Amino acid sequence: MLPVDRLCRTIQHLPCDRPPVIPQIFAHAAKVAGRDVDAYLGSPDTAAQCQLAAWRHYGLDAVFAVIDLTMEAEALGGTLTRHPGLYPAIRIPPYSADRDFTAMSIPDPAKAGRLPAVLEMIGQLRAGVGENAAVIGLIQGPMTLAVQLVGMEQTLFLAADDTERFLQLLDYATEISRRYGRAQIEAGADVVLVFDPAACPEVVPVGMFREMIGPRIAKLSAALKQAGAKATWLHIAGQTAAILPLYSSFGIDIGNLDYCVDLDKVLAAPGLQTLCLDGNIKPLSFITDNADAIRDSAVELLARFDQRGGFILSSGCEIPPEAQEAAVSALVAAAKDWPQRRTQRTS
Amino acid sequence: MGSSFETLVTALIDGDRERSLALVGELIDQGRQPLEIVTEGIETAMASLDRKCTAEQFNLLEIMLAGRAVIAVIHQLFPGDIELPNPRASVVTAVLEGDIHDIGKSILKILLAGSRIRIVDCGKDASIAAVVKAAIESKAVAVCISGLISSIIPLVRTVRPALTAAGLGHVKILAGGAALKQCSADTLNVDFVGQTAFDAVHYISGLVENADAPR
Repeated sequence: MLPVDRLCRTIQHLPCDRPPVIPQIFAHAAKVAGRDVDAYLGSPDTAAQCQLAAWRHYGLDAVFAVIDLTMEAEALGGTLTRHPGLYPAIRIPPYSADRDFTAMSIPDPAKAGRLPAVLEMIGQLRAGVGENAAVIGLIQGPMTLAVQLVGMEQTLFLAADDTERFLQLLDYATEISRRYGRAQIEAGADVVLVFDPAACPEVVPVGMFREMIGPRIAKLSAALKQAGAKATWLHIAGQTAAILPLYSSFGIDIGNLDYCVDLDKVLAAPGLQTLCLDGNIKPLSFITDNADAIRDSAVELLARFDQRGGFILSSGCEIPPEAQEAAVSALVAAAKDWPQRRTQRTS
Repeated sequence: MGSSFETLVTALIDGDRERSLALVGELIDQGRQPLEIVTEGIETAMASLDRKCTAEQFNLLEIMLAGRAVIAVIHQLFPGDIELPNPRASVVTAVLEGDIHDIGKSILKILLAGSRIRIVDCGKDASIAAVVKAAIESKAVAVCISGLISSIIPLVRTVRPALTAAGLGHVKILAGGAALKQCSADTLNVDFVGQTAFDAVHYISGLVENADAPR
């Protein structure tokens, strides 16, 4: 079964040859390819080659067209800070909270900053994997991009003090992501992950997600599907049990589970029967735990979701760049061995 | 505690800065002393917020709004002072070199703002040397390290040896933040790992109360 077919059938809770396994591998691919993180971050060619090396080495169902998470803010004039061996971070956001966000220009993904590098990376990945893996891009979700454009504290205070301007900022962020996401699909991505950790209930109230952020995520979902995305995928790290039941209403096909989410609550929650879920092994475990422990955790997850279906085996969040290769290999093996193990468990 | 303090507590928890300032003005007009307003108003509000914000109900926006109201009230009560007078203890906070995500540290500062605990903030992307220097100069009881990225874990482990080499082996080390809270205290070579900023506040309050207790 081709990986994209496996993914699409899993989303529909249809039987597959085995569960998909899609650990979030970004700069960890550099380690697998014998390159350093700075080489990965510095060149879309190198990043693509590293992703392909990791795909071949682990036998993954997907590759990620992700270099780092600052592309949009940098393209709009944000100042980054860089440390050797680490992802860049936004030191100075591009805007102040008092801007007129209704009159701002949208960066052209084909020209602005490093956005074209990601489109180039997608093209190389598409050519490299053919039909034998899903190519997954990434855009910032409305709340996370808003925070990157203006700053965390400023955005949150804006939400409280000037709701109209806050919503305009969210709309502006949504339009940036819509255009960038569409470009990634057109460049060859099968799916574009909507990455929105700032929308977590640990950051903003559930009501704000439901009334303000969710509808904008729904616009992104619709636009990505219209552009040809095979599925829509929302990634919000942290304690998301309270908002997971809302994802399907916003057009989301796949929602991630971070390691801290109570699986008993999730599996019992009304409104979560159709959402495909991915996760949820603790990311740090891939550094600290041995392969057997990862395998055991993976098998336990696969067993818990076996009856329900609609589950992609993964980490709860990004696999750390310094993760042990044996640990990641154990995760992949657990998914590939599952049909046989399942038969043994039931016989 | 009279109804005026209850109303102030509610306004602070709601993050209503303007109303909080107005109520403090009324309390002062009634002859209430600033430190009484801190104890009956701010500390009570923060304790209520603590009870409300369990690990699953923790909400950064609400904490920040409450914190903004608290800081505004402190400035109103003690104009010209950066912090509350007669601090019970000092605590150093830092995000270590390589990491510039400081919202966790900022939350801790907010939560400790009304506790008469002096915060010495080394900021983000801070060197171990800066943290040690701050701990020496402030005679800190604890050092609080916040970390979002797993790459700084090896650096966190070096905080204890650095403090010990400087004669500060008695200073407690706390860690928190999205990456660090996935680790055990042993893994990080620290005394305590908090799942939320409130956990750190409880730990520090316990440290300070034990130090204050009559012998």
